[in-house]
Order: sequence, then structure tokens, then C-alpha cells
Amino acid sequence: MLQYEFMQHALFVSICISLLCPCIGIFMVLRRCSMIGDTMSHASLAGITLGLLVHKNPIIGAFLFTSACGALIEFLRKYFPRHLDLILTIILSLSIGTAITLISSGRLHTNAEAFLFGSILTVNHTDMLCIFLLTILSIFILYSLYNSLLYMAYDEETARIAGVKVDLINYAFAVLMAAAVSISIKIVGVMVLSSMIALPVATALQLKKGFQKTLFYAVLFSFMNMQLGLWGSYYLKVAPGGFTSLMSVFLLLLILLLKKVVHTHFAGRSTLDFTRNPSYDKVNKANRQGGKSFVHNILACQHKTNQTTRNNFGYIKKECQAHDGS
Amino acid sequence: MLKIDHVYFSYTTQPPYILNDLCLTVSKGDYISIVGENGCGKSTLLHLLLGFLHPDSGTIQINAKSIRYVAQKTNFSQIGFPITVYEVLNAYRKLLKIKTNTIIENVLQQTDMLPFKNCLMDTLSGGQTQRIALARALIGEPDLVILDEPSTGVDLKNQKKIYTILKELNIKQQLTILSVEHNLDAAIKNSTQIYHFAHGAGHICSPQKYAQEFFHSTLKESAYVTI
Repeated sequence: MLQYEFMQHALFVSICISLLCPCIGIFMVLRRCSMIGDTMSHASLAGITLGLLVHKNPIIGAFLFTSACGALIEFLRKYFPRHLDLILTIILSLSIGTAITLISSGRLHTNAEAFLFGSILTVNHTDMLCIFLLTILSIFILYSLYNSLLYMAYDEETARIAGVKVDLINYAFAVLMAAAVSISIKIVGVMVLSSMIALPVATALQLKKGFQKTLFYAVLFSFMNMQLGLWGSYYLKVAPGGFTSLMSVFLLLLILLLKKVVHTHFAGRSTLDFTRNPSYDKVNKANRQGGKSFVHNILACQHKTNQTTRNNFGYIKKECQAHDGS
Repeated sequence: MLKIDHVYFSYTTQPPYILNDLCLTVSKGDYISIVGENGCGKSTLLHLLLGFLHPDSGTIQINAKSIRYVAQKTNFSQIGFPITVYEVLNAYRKLLKIKTNTIIENVLQQTDMLPFKNCLMDTLSGGQTQRIALARALIGEPDLVILDEPSTGVDLKNQKKIYTILKELNIKQQLTILSVEHNLDAAIKNSTQIYHFAHGAGHICSPQKYAQEFFHSTLKESAYVTI
């Protein structure tokens, strides 16, 4: 199958996607703005149509227009604080409006609908070069901004005090999101592109490891999803975007199921979980040594609290009565 | 180290001012607790000191090389995202461009949190999270630590631990501490001075004097609360 040039191209692009998308996605999920990915993917359709209109590479068009939309989202945050959903509706209206107007005008020299579902046949040498450069550049920027992005997502005040240029980095992150979207549109398509950004991270989150390990597993799951989607779509002769998206959901469900099985059958037996709070182990050990059940200890604790509350109320009542009497 | 000179501030830049002719001088090694009712402008003052807001008139001079801030409630436990204690502290160390890696073990040791180094942040209790926030504030040997109600939502045992750590740092390392407090007992026990804040203005006094003047009057008021 790899003897076909288009499959070699598709394999190369899928590796780039599985590297970059979860790296961007983890910060988007952390900032609770994974729906920006969906808006950006719709904005990329407008960029593609603009690129096709001026006879330029659609990936470059998508990257430029999506970057502008990302910057616009950051700009509008100042005018609509705490209303991200409203900002995303504004950007969606702008981008879908642009795309539909241009497609319906009949002035595009290529069919833009091919970008909706993705196609492994459409990746050429110029696209590969664009995707490669965008991936390398984005990973380099992401590596240099890693700690700043991490702290901006967790504790923006502390990041500002430490001297992080929060506003500037927000704009840089918008460009990184645009890059992730632009490299994915040819293979995955606009419709399901956000699943490449959010679903591998959602799957990795289920493992409850530290941040770096979550990032590693997100990249691994993204790679698995992309490869299963790519090869599956080749054999089943379906659009790769839809099939990859389905694979992402199946993998997430599989991990959830495995987690449930492990919790049911091996609860409390694992000694390998170093991320667990040692205080819990102390409580469990104390309970075991006392030969009492967890429920028994909770009830005993509840009884003690009730008794203390009753005593306190008695004291307060006595004081009030004394005060009223005087 | 820090001088607030006739500062006026209003969110609308017009009277009435939230901070009204505010003056305060903080020297090296001071442990000042800022006390006052809710909404009197304590947190606004902290935001002015941290540079998030700017005074309408008056000046704030800070001669500290490095300032750290411990917020009222640290976001780590609420965000529901897996990150370990070590990752939180290490990322902050890298942000401050400090090269020595052993500093993380040192600050965890100081705050009695070394056994929790590899724990996930969302498995920690409120008191433990607050001690991690304090450990993070100690990275890079700061001159001035600003705290916003460090004992909010923390049980008595952990409160005692937090204040013991702060007091030790203040005495042994001459760390300057500025803390907004609702815990009057802790403020009187630990502070070198108390800044009492009411209606946008404040005055500084010794903990003993504060205990006599204000604490008794507060208790008197609360005794009339009917149940």
C-alpha cells in the first residue's frame, strides 16, 4: 500500500498532525476553551476559499485567515470578558458567512467541498512542505513557551507577577492553533478537525498521570487514531476525516471501559501509583489496623461532630439567656 | 522596602475613593497583617501593590528585588487537570530562570511537603494546596511575600502549620511578609505590626494595642448576634 505516492504523503502528514494537534490541544483543554478548535476549523474553510479565490495555496490561505480569527478572538475577549461562547458565535458567523458567500459565487477554480471531509488523494509536494515547516516552527515555539503557557492556564496572576507577557503569548497561541488547524484540513477535513485536537487529550486525561505524561499519552493516542483512521479509510474506501474521528471516540470509550474494569477488580491493590496522596494511605492503614470498616469510621466521626455541635449550641444558648436576663 | 504615600484609588477614577489617602511604610523583616471588614479595599490594595491596578494619585515605591504572591484560593485543586506538585514548582522555577534544581526539594522541606512531591495537585487537601502555594512563593529567595488570607478554607491543624512556617521564615530569614487576614487570632500572635483598614483608610499599630482596642470591640459586637 505504501508503494503509492499519495499514501506516502498521507502518512507523512498524519505523523505531523499527531505530533502537533495534541500539543496544542492540551493547553486548549487546560484553558477550558476546546470549542475554539471547532471555531478555528470553520474559520479555516473561509481561509481555504480565499486562497482558492486568489489562486494561492489553500493551506497558506487557511493559516493566515485562521491566525487572524484567533487574534480577533483574543481582541474581543477584552470587550466580552467571561463570554467566550458569544465571541465564538461572532467568529463562526464571520467565517461561515465568508465561506458560503465565496463558494456560492462560483468564482473558485477548484471544488472547496473536498476540504469538508478530507481526502488522502489531494496532498501534493507543496502542501507537504508547508505542513512540514508549520509543524517544525510550531513545535519550536511551543517548546520555548511551554512553561509560560502552563502557568497562564493554571494561575494567570502568578504568571503575570513572574513577568510573563500574558497578552502577547495569547496572540502567539492563537497563531499556533491556526497552524495546527491548517496542517490538518487536507487529510482530516474541516468538519471533524476539532476531534483531532480535543479527543486524544480527553483520552489521556483518563489515565490521571502528571502533565508531561498526559502530553506524552495524548501524542501516542493521537498517532494511534490517525494511523487507524488512515489505513481503515483506505481499505474501507471512506473519507479519512470521519473514520479517524470514529477511531478517536472508540479509543476513548475503550480506555473508559478498561479504567472501570481496573477500578472494579484491582481497587487499592496497586502499589505503583506514586501520584496518590500519601495521607490517604495513612488513613487506609489506620482503618485496617483498627479492624474497623471505612463506613464505621465515618459514622463515628459524624457522631463526634454532632456531639460537639450540640455542646456548642448549649453553651451559646446559655450565654444568650444570661445576656437577656441581665 | 515598600512605601505607600497618600494613595487614592477608585475603580471609576472619581470620588468616592475605595482607597482614601492611604499611607504605609514596610521595612525589611516586618510581618504586617492587614485586617478589616469585607469590601473595605484590602484586596484592591494588594492588586495595587502587585501592579495589576494603578493609583489615581499618590505613589507606591517598592525596593524589593523579587515579590511573590500567595492568592486567597489557589486554582490548582479546582482545575481538575492532572499535574504533580513537582511539575507545578519546576515550571515556576523555569519561569523565574533559576537553574538550580535542588531548590524545589528545599522549599518542599521548608513547608513540610516533601513526601507529597510526586502527588497530583487535585489529590491534595485545602491546607496542603495552600502550603504548596507557599512553597512556590519561596522559590528564588524572595524579599517580600504578599499573602491574601492564607488560612481561608484551611482546618486548624493546617492553619497552625502555615503560620508556624511564616513566623519561622520571618524570624530566621528576615523575610518581609504582608498578609491580608481575617484570622485575627493569628494576626495578633504572629505579626510585628497590624494595619487596620476601614472605609478606605487605615492606621498601623502594634498587635498588643490592636488586641486591646479593636479585638475586644469586635467580640462585643459579635456577642449580640442572635441565633
